[in-house]
Amino acid sequence: MASKVNTEGIFLFEQPFVRVPYENYRKVFRTSQKQVEREYGAIQNAASDITNRCKSSDVPASDAAAAIDEMIARVKSLQRKLSDLQDTSGKPAQDVIRERLKHLSTLESMSHSNTPDFTRWADTRLDRWLVDWCLRHGKEETARQMAKEKDIEMLVDISLFSDIRRIEGALQNHSCTEALAWCSENKSTLRKSKSTLEFDLRLQEYIELCRAQSKVEAIAYMQKYLTPWQETHLAQIRQASALLAVRPETRCGPYKRLFDPSRWENLVKSFRCAIYSLNLIPNEPLLNLSLYAGLASMKLLACYDQSTKKVDCPVCDTESSSGSQGLGLGKLAEDVPLSHHANSTIVCQITGRIMDEDNMPMAFPNGLWKRWLRGAERS
Amino acid sequence: MDVLLKELTKLEKLTASNGRGKTVPIKESLDTLLSTLEHRKQVVETEGVTPESWKGVTDILESKKKEIDERLKETYSSMSRLGKAIDKKFSTPLPSYPGLFESDTAVNALERTIALHFLRTGQFDTAQTFIQESEVIIPDELRSKFVDLHHILKALRNRDINPALRWASDHREFLKSRSSPLEFNLHRSEYMRLLITTRPPNLLLAITYANEHLRPFYHEHEAEFKRLMTCPVYLPLPRLERSPYADLASPSLHFDLEPLFAKEYCASLGMSRQVPLRVVGDIGGGGALAKIEKGRRVMRERKSEWSQRDELPIEIPLPPENRYHSIFTCPVSKEQSTEQNPPMMMTCGHVIAKDSLYKLSKPVGRPMRYLENDLEFAGAQPRLKVKPLSKL
Repeated sequence: MASKVNTEGIFLFEQPFVRVPYENYRKVFRTSQKQVEREYGAIQNAASDITNRCKSSDVPASDAAAAIDEMIARVKSLQRKLSDLQDTSGKPAQDVIRERLKHLSTLESMSHSNTPDFTRWADTRLDRWLVDWCLRHGKEETARQMAKEKDIEMLVDISLFSDIRRIEGALQNHSCTEALAWCSENKSTLRKSKSTLEFDLRLQEYIELCRAQSKVEAIAYMQKYLTPWQETHLAQIRQASALLAVRPETRCGPYKRLFDPSRWENLVKSFRCAIYSLNLIPNEPLLNLSLYAGLASMKLLACYDQSTKKVDCPVCDTESSSGSQGLGLGKLAEDVPLSHHANSTIVCQITGRIMDEDNMPMAFPNGLWKRWLRGAERS
Repeated sequence: MDVLLKELTKLEKLTASNGRGKTVPIKESLDTLLSTLEHRKQVVETEGVTPESWKGVTDILESKKKEIDERLKETYSSMSRLGKAIDKKFSTPLPSYPGLFESDTAVNALERTIALHFLRTGQFDTAQTFIQESEVIIPDELRSKFVDLHHILKALRNRDINPALRWASDHREFLKSRSSPLEFNLHRSEYMRLLITTRPPNLLLAITYANEHLRPFYHEHEAEFKRLMTCPVYLPLPRLERSPYADLASPSLHFDLEPLFAKEYCASLGMSRQVPLRVVGDIGGGGALAKIEKGRRVMRERKSEWSQRDELPIEIPLPPENRYHSIFTCPVSKEQSTEQNPPMMMTCGHVIAKDSLYKLSKPVGRPMRYLENDLEFAGAQPRLKVKPLSKL
């Protein structure tokens, strides 16, 4: 029996798939806007400078010509910058959007899930999920190799995740510089989502200065970077200023917590949350979400009973022949709820087919249920 | 989806270096600006500067600035239109299940599943890299089994059945226990190949082959054997294809061997016939998550509790090929049967769960209403003849 392709259910997974390259393109556009403002502003300043000088005194022709020369140079550089930006970032981002939309739109033309077209599509989707999972679990080599071999580089976000990894790695080595640079790149969006990541990073840098007992620098740092947050973080800033009077080996609760190195781990986590939510990527790998739903739809108590395990059932996970525990999917299925069934289903022990009105279950006098095989006379 | 692609095309046109739009491309604005500036420079060099003549420069700067701003505005609005279309098409964000499959045991299980998936699907290089990058241990023996599988499948694709045959005869007992037609089907394909591809048809060769290799299967496949022996009557191929034996001439006779072989091979390793990760992923990603989320939402709105670990609140329809187990849901209590609460059959033939049965027969002395008309049960004492069903 052919089952219909549930486009809506499938598209539930694809929001980040389309949003990530779109956000990338938006960033490129903002950069180009800024460049125009900056360069063009400089050109106009140069022009108004001459205008002002004209008002008060005569301006030598050579000065004016030099000013125009400078303007010409700036116009040319602006032109070059804009076209470079479009070629190296804008166009590629658009191409990625196009490729992904195309990938999704092929799905809309498919009617049934048992066509080879759909099989290919689902293969690619699983590959994408696997790359996503590998990237999130630090298996970048595998991710790159897969993306290359399957020719799906446009369909996965390797560069985004390698950025994430680079910044996270820096945080793990107790350096905030990279994360702060990322914050300033995405200042306006972070402000909109009321993210406190930047404050947390600044606070950590301040704590590190206190730890090193460089009090003068710490005070200067606080005045420069922490006080701007006083409207929202006054209590924390106050507590932080008291840190100056405390030694790193203190046993006093609140200050001990500030000096606690595990704060770095939390920074990694909150950075990850911030960058995920900025790109609308879910916090869990897509593979996990689909496995959760898939396993929960299939999981039955029978999957955990040695005598009723079926080799083809993924939840049964018969790979380990000893014990009722699986090593792979069966193990994972322990974390998901059981499936719900409002009606009974009887699967024939012999053919593995489901019984219905055309294929009735039959009970033998000895109580065994078997389906009366069509053409059973033969065997 | 078409709307999205259309919006994207518009945006691409606007941002291409000389793309068309309602406004002038930035490159063009800058080009005219450049040539005007160069012209002005010559004028300045020959005629000097006056406030009036310089005003020409600031004016052109001003007007070009306007042009560029308009272009940026148009691009911006095109970009937001695309963004809005995306939001409309993909309106629901993915749900979040914090900490899902993040425990060490879960990650290990997943790593193992993924490594086996790579091996199973023949991506040996990727598997190697993956195994190096993770801590999963896959026994070399298992790995080499998959390498063998892919060698055999590749050979089959190239119409070489020998490696597959070797494996089948090595595992004859196993195949027999599953009453698998694999070995017979392999020989059948070879026999038909000999019949069809030899020019002129070399009947003797094919029949010798059948005598040698198909004959031992006569008892298990008597009907098919007879058809195979009769079909040469309709040769050559074009005639055979219009005969009652057309199915034997179809190329799928050979190509179906590949999935059949993979199925038997995997079963011998205790693995499923379909790639498990694909099966689960397709079900989960094909609407199940959306349904579960909807169920959760409804439960939340009704303010009823749903303990996540227990049972899903709604049924997720599965395609028939993915239903592997018999499920008994008691028609009375709507609960699934368990080891402690198995289905019981009454002599009237109805089956309900054990707990429901006891509940129904509780008020001793009163016949069960449902069974009132049943002579055997209509009495002062409900004598329920029940017997447990063997495992479904």
